[in-house]
This record gives sequence, C-alpha cells and structure tokens, in this order.
Amino acid sequence: MDIFLAILRAALFVVIAYSVVFVGALVNIVFERRVLAFMQDRHGPNRTGPHGVLQSVADAFKMMGKEDFRPLLADPVLFTLAPIMVMFGAVAIQLVIPYTGGMAATELDVGLVFIVAITGFTTMAILLGGWSSRNKYSLVGALRAAAQMISYEIPMILGLLVVAMVVGSLRITDVVAAQADYQWIAFYAPFTFLIFYIASIAELNRGPFDLPESESELVSGYGTEYSGMRFGMFFLNEYAGLTIMSMVTVTLFFGGWQGPFADAVVFWGVSWIGLIWFLIKTYILVFALVWIRLSLPRLQVDQLMAFAWKILIPLGLLNILATAAIMLWVPQWKWGMAVFSWIALVAFVGLFDPILKWRLRRQRDRLPVVNA
Amino acid sequence: MPDQFATAAPDEAVKLALQRIEESTARGEGSNVEGLAFNEVVVNMGPQHPSTHGVLRLVVTLDGELVKDVIPVIGYLHRCKEKLAEKRTYYQYIPIVDRTEYVAGMNCEWGYVMTVEKLAGIRPPRRAEFIRVIMAELNRIASHQVAVGTFTADLAPLGTAMVFYMFRDREYILDLLEEVSGARMMFNYFRFGGLRYDLPDGWVEKCRDLMKRLPKLIDEYESLVQDNAIFLQRCVGKGVITQQDVIDYGITGPCARASGVAHDLRRTRPYSVYPELDFEVCLQSHGDVFDRYQVRMDEMRESVKIVEQALDMLPKGPVQLGSLRAPYVITPPPGACYTGQENPRGEYGTYIVSDGSRYPYRLKFRDPCFCNLQLFPKLLSGNKIADAVAISGSIDLVLGGIDR
Repeated sequence: MDIFLAILRAALFVVIAYSVVFVGALVNIVFERRVLAFMQDRHGPNRTGPHGVLQSVADAFKMMGKEDFRPLLADPVLFTLAPIMVMFGAVAIQLVIPYTGGMAATELDVGLVFIVAITGFTTMAILLGGWSSRNKYSLVGALRAAAQMISYEIPMILGLLVVAMVVGSLRITDVVAAQADYQWIAFYAPFTFLIFYIASIAELNRGPFDLPESESELVSGYGTEYSGMRFGMFFLNEYAGLTIMSMVTVTLFFGGWQGPFADAVVFWGVSWIGLIWFLIKTYILVFALVWIRLSLPRLQVDQLMAFAWKILIPLGLLNILATAAIMLWVPQWKWGMAVFSWIALVAFVGLFDPILKWRLRRQRDRLPVVNA
Repeated sequence: MPDQFATAAPDEAVKLALQRIEESTARGEGSNVEGLAFNEVVVNMGPQHPSTHGVLRLVVTLDGELVKDVIPVIGYLHRCKEKLAEKRTYYQYIPIVDRTEYVAGMNCEWGYVMTVEKLAGIRPPRRAEFIRVIMAELNRIASHQVAVGTFTADLAPLGTAMVFYMFRDREYILDLLEEVSGARMMFNYFRFGGLRYDLPDGWVEKCRDLMKRLPKLIDEYESLVQDNAIFLQRCVGKGVITQQDVIDYGITGPCARASGVAHDLRRTRPYSVYPELDFEVCLQSHGDVFDRYQVRMDEMRESVKIVEQALDMLPKGPVQLGSLRAPYVITPPPGACYTGQENPRGEYGTYIVSDGSRYPYRLKFRDPCFCNLQLFPKLLSGNKIADAVAISGSIDLVLGGIDR
C-alpha cells in the first residue's frame, strides 16, 4: 500500500512541476507583455479574453498548428533533442523547492548543490540547439550562452555559499525553517542577495544580460532556426524560468512560504495560506525581473564578462571571507553580518554607478578632439 | 574548406569577402592559419535583419565576436527614381521625391522644388518660404525622433521604450503635417513657386502649442537614457569619425557635426529665409556614437526654436505665385542646376539638367545616407558585433534614399 501511495505522490509532484512550468510560462508571457505595455505607454494584448489573459494560450495553439520545420543541414537528432531537453532544468529544479509547508517533492540533503547543478542544464540545451542548427547566428548565440553560464554560475555559487554558511545546512527545507519569524536571509545578507540576484538574471538569459538572443545583433540568437512548437519550447522555458528562478530566490532569501497566518489553514498536511504567500512573493520578484529588463540597455559581451570576473566574483569572495570572519569572531554574528552586509550593499549601489560614470567621463575627456 | 555551412552558391559580395580572407591569411594577418579551417566566418547581415533598418545588406567577416571586414551591398530597394524623372513632367515628379528618403519627405520635396525654381528663375512668395521652413523643421524633428528611437532600440529593450515615447510624440507632428498636406509621410505639398495649400484655420495655434510642449518631451527622452551607465558604456568612444574622414568621404549632417565640422547648409550655404532666423549649428567634438546622439537631440531643440521664430515672423499673403493653381506645365530654360538642402541626415543635393522641354533631361540626387554609407567598412571593422550594430544605428541610414 505504501508503495502505491509513494508512486501516487511522485506522479502528483511531476504533474505539479510540469503545470508550474507551463502555466507559469503562459501567465508570465501575458504578464510581461502587459507590464511592458504599461511602462511603454501602450495597450499591449487586450483582445483575447478579459484583459487579454488568454493571449498566450492563443499563441500556444498557433505555434502548435505551425509546420514542424527542420533546416536541411541541421543535425536531426540534436536539433530535435534540444527543445525537449530545455524543459528538464526548469522541471527538475522543483524537486527541492518547498511550495509550502508539507508540500515539497523531496527533502534532498544536498538541495543547494542540486540547484546549482541543475540550473546549468538549460544552457546545455541551448548550446546543443545553437550548435546543431548550422547557423552562424545560432552558433554565436549558443557560445555566448555557454560563456555567460560559466561566468555567472560562479557568483551565484558564491552567493549560495553564504546562505549555506548562515543556515548550516544544504537542505532547502532547513533554509526555509531557518528563516522563520521573518528572519529572512535577504535582511541579514542583502549584499549576498544582490550578487545572487544579478547572477540569477544572467543565468536566465534575460535583459540586460540577454546576449544569447540579442535580437538586434543575432536576429534571435540560438533560436534563429527554430520555429513552431520547437521554438515554443525554448520560449516557454525562458518564461517559466522567471517563475522558477523567483521561486528559488524566495525560498533562499525571502523566507519561502512563510508569512502571517501561513499555518492557519492546514489540511492533508499542507499549509495552504503559505502557498498563497509563496505565490505573492514569487510574483513580486517576477515583476522586478520584468522591470529590470525594461529599464536597462543590453550589456556587451566583453562588458558582461568583465562584470562577472572583475567585479562580481572578487566581491563575492570578499563577501564570503567577511561573513566567515564575522561568524567566527563576532558573538552576535547575525547582527554583525547584517551591519556589514547593509553597509556593503549601500556602498556598492552608491559607488558603482558614480565610479563607472566617472571612468567613462575620464575616458571621454581623454578622447582626442577629432581633428584633421 | 572555405565554408562548409554554405548551401547556396555565394554571390559576388560573399566571394569578395572570402577572397579577402584568403588574401589576409596569405599575408599572415588575422587569426586564420593556412591549411587549417577558417576561424573567420562570413555572415550575411541583411537584407532581412532586425537592425539594418531596411534592406541594407552587410556581408560581415566575423572572427568570433570581432568584426573583421564589412562589405555593404545595396540595391534591394532600387525603384529607378532618377530614370522615372526623365519620363515625367517636372510637376508629375513631385510626389515621387517624397518616396526617395521617405522619413524626411518635406525636406526632399523642398530640395527638388528649390532646384527647379532656381532653374526656371521663380521666387516663391515670402509666406510660402516661411511655411516651407516650418514644414522642413517639423519634419526634421520627426525624422530625428525616428533616428534616435531606432538607434536606442538597437541597444536594448530599454530602447523599445524610447521608440514608443518618440513615436508617440512624432505622431503629434505628423498630425500637424497631415492637417496641412493630407498625408502623414508622402506629403506632395510643395509646388513650384509656392505651396499646394495655405495653412488651415487654427493650425498656427496648434503648432505653437506643440512647440511649447516639445522641449519638455525632449528632456523626457534624455532623462530616459542619458544618465544610464550602461547606455554611456555602449556609446562613449565607439565608432569615432575623424574630421579627415568627414572630408575624405563627404560625410554631412549630424555625423559631420558630431566630429566638429561646422557644416550645416542652412548656415554655410544659406537658402530660403534661414539667414533671417536665429539658430545655432549644434557641434560636438569627439565624433563618437554618443556625440552623434547628442547632436540629434540638440538639433531637435534648435528646430523647435526655428519653428517658433518662423511662426512669429509668418507674414500674410499668398502662398502661391500668380493664381491659386500651381503651374502644371513648367519648361525651364536649357541648363543645369545643383542645389544642396540640409536634410536631417545631411546634404540632400538635387542636380537637374534641362533641355528646355517639359521633362528633365537628367535628374540626380546626392543622398547623404549614400555618402555616409561609404564609411561603413572603415568604421565598423575592428569593433565587436554589438558595437557595429550600435554604430550603424548612430549613422542613421534610410535605404529609400540610398537605393532611390
């Protein structure tokens, strides 16, 4: 009997994981288009269903109805495999995310490591797709994606390390439990959160780090040769990634599903109000992602790499060192860490932009006044 | 193994690019090693590419992210505009001029009409001259809005916001132009010796009202991007055009003025009533992408100033010489005439040879975009591909003008 229940449970979580990906993607697409439209002073999709909520459903049906086309010279196996593979990462990462109290697929002992390992998976599919398309734009886009993943995985891990140090466990449910009573890690380690968040945006290939598919240079990057539902899979994954990455961020830094009255309604061993909190927090972060994408121009490849290797990684390493020192030597280490991290955050945010602009101004002044 | 990916037979431009790679490899330049596979690939950017703003085709040699060589290929929008003139009367050709450089139709029309007037020895009434100035400057603002908007769109999604803000305000200007001429882009408004219609009632007030609002809107655009570190990082010091380049290649317009060459036909070779108007030639000194952006922003402000002055000085009187009807048949005496007109993109020259008949014997346009395009191979080579896109956006090409 137990084994049946276990199988049922596993099947249920697979269904949940896939529906989060698909529903999340469909919702995010409409959400982003509406928010962008609002910010750009236009209407956006508002004809399909009330306020255009069915727009992405209509788009999905349109894509499914399109011809399944493969370029003549593309590698048939890899070209087909890539859009299938691309979804794995987004689905598999939900293995360790507790949606709410009593609602987590597994309680993996190495949850944090699992997250790091699985986020790289999407990039592998992108690399595969870009490589197998036999298109130069796709190839450049795919290689950009690979380089970007390698560079930004490291600051992301450096951010996660601090979380692991603070919590003292790699298990995700422990991370959530350690943030009970609003002791969110984002409050104690805002600087760590900033590093992690920047790196996670880069992992998502979203603006301002959307170089792998920078439409103004590479047509549409790794996805140039993809059309119909094959393209749809890449597209769905990209937008599901918004929800998934926000879920991870909420779980690690914003107390997961915990909030006022989170445990008030419990049946079947699941805290249902916690689920609502989880969704609210997630969508606040999704909104932030959309906002960031709209407000910043795209970086350039060398600037992107320089930002990861020259700024984020050294700062992440220093951050780990400082956090470790505080934990070792300061008795009230949580408060010590908070003070350090807030100062670091304010200093970074306050100084980075002026310094960058000062350097640019100096560079500009050094430019020779052009003369014949 | 020149290119294992190639499926179709390479055309002339691609062959040239491949040949240049072979030559540079034989000289021992570049990153290719003889006998081994090529590191450099030839990529066709265009004619269908999101950031070539039309049907420009660039055959680009890429070494990874680096642009090694650029061969522009034009002619995808060729519509035989110059040949058409030989089979049309002077009057019939006016609407066709709009369609050469379609973003700044009023300016192009003016250039053509001015040349024919000079050839035939006609002087339009003063009121018509002022209205022409107003139309040209309004169209200049609208054209710069397209130029800067699409340029920032090349940089990022942020730019798409910029595009929407700019196109929103461009619509106000186009509304004004539509009220006058009946069309939003293909105006067909200028006539030899005047204009097709006088200004409609209440138009002057509407225009004044818009001119009051526009400087604030231009400030809004600037606040959107000017202070953004990433935007500056993408623009400062990129794609520098030196003054020698400006002179060698015949660069005109904002691109020349961004390099500190004070060449503005409205001042250097004044025509119409520009000498009576007070405005500055906007100059910058570094000639990089940011300066070209800045010059366009400043010029929009200057154009607002010019329109306001012209509205103040607008005299009463007819807008057409003689009768209300424009002369349908005009036969200039035999001879040739060239007139330069300051288009938003540079010097728009019209050269007409007349043999004394109703048709031009030969008509030739000197299009600023065509001359600015010549600089592309020199300007883009050696930049990152993303920079190349930003630089080509900052030059602001209109393919309708290049191909004609």
